[in-house]
Amino acid sequence: MAFDTTDIVLTVVKIAFVLAITLSITPVMVWVERRGSALIQDRPGPNRVGPFGLLQSLADALKFILKEDVLPAQAHRWLYTLAPVFGLIPAVVTISVVPFARSFVIPEMNVFGRTWFEGGRIFEPIIADVNIGILLIFALASLGVYGMALAGWSSNNKYSLFGGIRASAQMISYELALTLAAIGALMGAGSLRLTEVVYRQTGYFVLFGIDWLRIPAWNIFPMFLGFIVFYVATFAETNRLPFDFAEAEAELVAGYHTEYSSMKFAMFFMAEYMAMGTISALTATLFLGGWDIPWYDEPATFVGFLLSGLAFLIKVSFLLFVFVWVRWTLPRLKYDYLMKIGWKVFLPMAILNILIVAILIAFRWI
Amino acid sequence: MFELVIFFFFAAVAVIGALTVVLHPNQVVGAISLVLSFFALAVMYVLLGAPFMAALQVIIYAGAIMVLFLFVIMLLNVERDEIVVSRPVQRFLGYTAGSAFGLTVSYYLLKAAVIEAPEGSIFLSDARSVGMRLFEAYIFPFEMVSILLLAAIVGALLLTQRDVRRDATGGGETV
Repeated sequence: MAFDTTDIVLTVVKIAFVLAITLSITPVMVWVERRGSALIQDRPGPNRVGPFGLLQSLADALKFILKEDVLPAQAHRWLYTLAPVFGLIPAVVTISVVPFARSFVIPEMNVFGRTWFEGGRIFEPIIADVNIGILLIFALASLGVYGMALAGWSSNNKYSLFGGIRASAQMISYELALTLAAIGALMGAGSLRLTEVVYRQTGYFVLFGIDWLRIPAWNIFPMFLGFIVFYVATFAETNRLPFDFAEAEAELVAGYHTEYSSMKFAMFFMAEYMAMGTISALTATLFLGGWDIPWYDEPATFVGFLLSGLAFLIKVSFLLFVFVWVRWTLPRLKYDYLMKIGWKVFLPMAILNILIVAILIAFRWI
Repeated sequence: MFELVIFFFFAAVAVIGALTVVLHPNQVVGAISLVLSFFALAVMYVLLGAPFMAALQVIIYAGAIMVLFLFVIMLLNVERDEIVVSRPVQRFLGYTAGSAFGLTVSYYLLKAAVIEAPEGSIFLSDARSVGMRLFEAYIFPFEMVSILLLAAIVGALLLTQRDVRRDATGGGETV
């Protein structure tokens, strides 16, 4: 692997950009969550700090920083401090293999008396286009459970421990359904590389041989079953209502982060919203065509890059809003019911989806 | 140079993690150290040009098996004074035998192992080539392993479903 200076600069710019977006998911989503819940419950919600209460998240962040950081007397000091970090790192790193826009050619430029991008250079809007793409996401996401499990154990509190145990049991169970549901989309692309998964979805399906009856070749249409399983599993993986048993406040006070305060609590908070952002980006990439704009051919220029990036942002924002929408609409399930449907309904459905996709591919219908 | 720095850093992490697993009295700390050690090993695979193996290493060992270990440790929640303290003789014998074994293994590895990369060999270990191998050359052992796993699953179910067994034999039998 040979890097030149331009490559390194471009990569640093990409990392800074993606990191800025990922970090800003949390304050924006906290605001959306509060205002969204208020909208659903027919009340105004936070509207005092800044226009429409937009600066409320800033005020919250300031409050978190100023709060006292309590270390429980009987807690395991090291693991108690490390647990939020274990939760946060996977949530931040996984986004690096998701393509966020169409690639475009940077034309040759002459700035500061030096020629940049000699002969044009293809800009890939992805930090690491590795050939194990989605496996990297699953590998790191599977480490996210340690944050909750360790937080639960090291707090030395029975509610925390129950939260941690529930979190690990739930995430192990739904990881299977999540991974198996994603396999359908990967079979369609014939690659683990997420850029190829998106390129595979940029065409059209012509229905019944009628030329004008075209739908975008998004994976959601042939693999609707897989999409349903994947999407439900994302709620379980991110511990969101109706599957938030790790913190079920009616039974476990606050679950695995009962004892946490100040910035350590804020890190769990950030990890939860960043994980939601990553998994929404993954859902959009695998099933909703990634950055593809339906019925439009994005040109390989800067305009195409901007438009496709916007399309991706809209898709991810919609999926994120559904998280909020569902949370304030559906009640929490019973725990045994969660396990039962995970193993007895979603897992078989995911396997059935693989079978259907295999048949579709064998007959060359997709 | 850069690769060498990464190698030695993660080699140190792997060794320290492995030592912590053996020497630390707290099992949860031990489990987490083992996860760290596995992660460092995965970095070794990436340095060797086998990212697919690295991903599998993290998914299967760090992500699945060790989560189950941690789960069981947390459920059992063994108190520190419940752990049986070994006798000094046992400890002496254990350390001596262990380090003798380790020294022997590293001596013969250093003597026999080829340190340089073989010339001109193209070693592919991406998902496609591993899958092709599994389903073409090694299809028989692959299927045998799945039957073995199925037998293990059925056995585990039978062990936990005690009521079913009692009903099947007409009731009254204590299992």
